[in-house]
Amino acid sequence: MRIGFNYTLGDTAPLVRKLLAGGHIDYVELLIDNFLAVPIDELETGFAAPVGFHIMFSKFIENDIPALESLARRLRALIERLRPLYVSDHVARFSHDGRQLYHLAEIDYVSDYPQVRERVDWWQQQLGCQLLLENYPSIMDGGHDAPAFHERLYRDTGAGVLFDASNAVCAHLNCGVPLEAWEGVIEHSSHFHTAGYNLSILQPHLILDTHDQVLSEATLGFLQRYRGLFDGPEATLTYERDGRFDEAEIIGDLQRLRGIFPSSPMEPRT
Amino acid sequence: MKTEHPLPRTDSQLLHALSVPQRQGDYPRDSRAFVRIDSSLRVYWHTLFDICPGLLQLSGPDGLAIFRPFMSWAAQQRLSLNWTYYLWLDVWLQQSSFARHVTPALRYQLMGASAARWATGDRSEANGIFLAAADLPDLVCGWKTQTLEGARDIEQIELAEPLPAPGAAFGYFTVHSRHLQDGFPGWTDVPR
Repeated sequence: MRIGFNYTLGDTAPLVRKLLAGGHIDYVELLIDNFLAVPIDELETGFAAPVGFHIMFSKFIENDIPALESLARRLRALIERLRPLYVSDHVARFSHDGRQLYHLAEIDYVSDYPQVRERVDWWQQQLGCQLLLENYPSIMDGGHDAPAFHERLYRDTGAGVLFDASNAVCAHLNCGVPLEAWEGVIEHSSHFHTAGYNLSILQPHLILDTHDQVLSEATLGFLQRYRGLFDGPEATLTYERDGRFDEAEIIGDLQRLRGIFPSSPMEPRT
Repeated sequence: MKTEHPLPRTDSQLLHALSVPQRQGDYPRDSRAFVRIDSSLRVYWHTLFDICPGLLQLSGPDGLAIFRPFMSWAAQQRLSLNWTYYLWLDVWLQQSSFARHVTPALRYQLMGASAARWATGDRSEANGIFLAAADLPDLVCGWKTQTLEGARDIEQIELAEPLPAPGAAFGYFTVHSRHLQDGFPGWTDVPR
């Protein structure tokens, strides 16, 4: 298992360099659409490490076609040149009735399926590579439909899942989606995310995917329990942190992940 | 009048309420839906007051004297809440009882916040944006991150030869490079 760290904004560059130099991570996940105005040569040599591409604001399900074609042209050039370990995007609602949602919303996996499938097919063609789609940290009971949705989408379009283990734990704690329901998804996935989460301010508490806390015991237990299914020769696991950049805490979490997935050669997947 | 909605099963059933404080009370206080809406509204709140803390001096420490009526007005006006969020807040403030307390410094801060939001969220091929208010002399511009380790860049600019004022409360134009060889393209009204 290769372990990586997300790079979203310039001010965490020294931390990322330190994690690479200390052998705590093996690659860097770029929130690539934040860096589209950066010269491609600089992106290619910037961290001197393999990269993954995480697309945040393509809004490929709802954006207009000319805007997406323009974005895809620029992303494709980066994909061809930097050859990322994976290219991932988000299945979520970014707006409603023309109004932006600042806390992204979960789609309706049943009624939205035809539209999402069509756009996923099209977006993959535009990007020229397999697309991985991150599972949402469900709050409402509609999250029970997510595992079957992702399995169906994979069968119909070839788009895989960037499986976020802690998002699955959020969904489990918020609305009871069993972790076992994701076994079919994990089995077909090679690229994973994990992060800390936090409680909502109000009660009854929701578990919110905040990326600003240490990994929970529930998340670590999930990764440990399914270690053989997660790991594999091409597997990657990105640790996401977007707030409270406490270096010792982050290194502690990365060491816990290394403890579950030692960097020595792994046995083949079962 | 309070309308009790049936308890929703999916997040999609709450979309109409996620940016509208008045809709939160349609759901039982101890329901997941209520807390879900609250969590969404808090992101809008923090996006205003964390970025422009000067607003709290007008509204009081919880910000609600600005936040709730502004978000309600924004919903009535069907504002998109895109990068222009702060500019429309300025428009609302000018019509409110806070108007005489809004300083030029706070107004430039709101323009800078909108320029920054454009620079971090826009995915077009443009690299910079210029903003002007009809009744303020300086321009505010925002640039997307140009280096891997850099950040978006916001500037307030005083021109030796002022441009014509925009016809609406605010105007903008976007550019591809910092060399403005194409000249002034004219102001576009900011989108709703």
